[in-house]
Amino acid sequence: MMDGLNSVASAYSPPFRIVAKYFVATIISFVVLNLMLVLNYLDISGHHFQPKILSITHIATLGFITMIIFGAMFQLVPVVLEVKLFSIILAEIQFWIFSAGVVLLVYKFWNFGSGLSFTLPAILLNIAMLIFSINIIASMVKVKSWNITGTYLASSIFWLLTTAVAGLLLSINLDTPFIKISHLQYLKLHVITAFIGWVTMVVMGVSFKLIPMFILSHDYKLNLAKWAVILINIGLLGVNWIMHYPDTEFYNTFFGSLIFIGMLLYLVQITIVFKKRIRKKPDIGLKFTSVALIILSITAVLNFSFLFFNYENVINLTLVYGIIFLIGFASMLIIGQMYKIVPFLVWYHKYSSKVGIEKVPMLKDMFNETLAEYQFYMMIAGLIISVIALSFQIQILLLTGFSILFISSIIFALNMIKIFRS
Amino acid sequence: MTGTITKEKITDILRTVIDPEIGINIVDLGLVYDINIIENQVDVTMTLTTPGCPMHNSITTWAQRVIEMTIPDVKVNVKLVWEPRWTPDKMSEDAKLQLGM
Repeated sequence: MMDGLNSVASAYSPPFRIVAKYFVATIISFVVLNLMLVLNYLDISGHHFQPKILSITHIATLGFITMIIFGAMFQLVPVVLEVKLFSIILAEIQFWIFSAGVVLLVYKFWNFGSGLSFTLPAILLNIAMLIFSINIIASMVKVKSWNITGTYLASSIFWLLTTAVAGLLLSINLDTPFIKISHLQYLKLHVITAFIGWVTMVVMGVSFKLIPMFILSHDYKLNLAKWAVILINIGLLGVNWIMHYPDTEFYNTFFGSLIFIGMLLYLVQITIVFKKRIRKKPDIGLKFTSVALIILSITAVLNFSFLFFNYENVINLTLVYGIIFLIGFASMLIIGQMYKIVPFLVWYHKYSSKVGIEKVPMLKDMFNETLAEYQFYMMIAGLIISVIALSFQIQILLLTGFSILFISSIIFALNMIKIFRS
Repeated sequence: MTGTITKEKITDILRTVIDPEIGINIVDLGLVYDINIIENQVDVTMTLTTPGCPMHNSITTWAQRVIEMTIPDVKVNVKLVWEPRWTPDKMSEDAKLQLGM
């Protein structure tokens, strides 16, 4: 009787094998990313425009962060917006094109002088991102009841494509210079749209759906969330437009401030959601998430401060910012959410048909929570040590920090394997 | 059969249905709104903590199956409703304690 119910999860979720591919690739990328940090700690110093740093940044932003966002979006968009994914085949094709693009781009940055062109991986990545955008937008147009998460996700897709096109132009420029403004100025635009428009916007949008569900939050309004998305979008559009012209410091500060205010409004909004929680005891997923959101406030302040001085003149400051954003905010948040989502996905795939017939595990029993706690504290320690080491240029301390982060990534991978095998 | 099925019995059976994410049974969470028994037909009206919860059909299927498995020849219908919306005050004291309230 109930098995025939047209429920949200069963009717709209894509097949496990599709989403699982993205999640497995994410876990592999995360370990590789941390290994690359350890192996190249001597190269991680000075200006950010260096082959090894660009290679590591792209395995982080594409192989790890974007990969998991793709996988999570295929799972979440149908559930959150109550629509069926437009095409499962496109999601499958996209995975292989995107993975090939990531591997080739990371390889090419690593071996800057190799014969491979920058444009080929960039084209592959653009195709994959275009397929993703078409798939999600074609799913979204069928939505009957729109919500704030949908607005954030739609905005983030626009910024993903902007980032991708900017990346393509930069890659062509590396092969054959043609961009009129400086390459580094254009790179800044690429980074701003990627970090704020794509990654942060997705996180913000999804957080309004997932966090209240995990912490059982009730009786709050999302008015600030609406203003946040408007201000951040206007700010990003302004910064993208202004950056093409010389002597636009005032406008740059104005639009940058809009982004900052938008991020502050988001942080106030999510604090309100947390304050209204019923589930007071935080589990490991929530601990990661909470720390990540605190770190987001640090990155917001850093973003804002960058409007007022030439941060590239401060040794290692952009690297410190990159580590705080990628390892502190994005990785901590993603790992926290993966400790919630991956057990659910595997549980739903393996056990949902067995409920009521045989004993099924609780989600938190599917991984080793003590190990996850160790990972949590190691990541915080590794992050703090790495930031101190970069700030004061102490190489041996940087190796220590990266090694701790690498061990923590192994613990994470072991825990994820345990979930998939449970 | 009718004489042996009581609301209390069904409630006790439903206590074995545990939200896999929260780790608390659906009765103590206050998710079961109504149990109606007419002869060998059991109608359960329940909700979930969040609309659009991805555990949706797993929990309702679990509730239906566990009653059917425990009481032979019973017909079970589990109806999921979103009104009235679930609120924390529907939880038992035990559940509140477990959540750290």
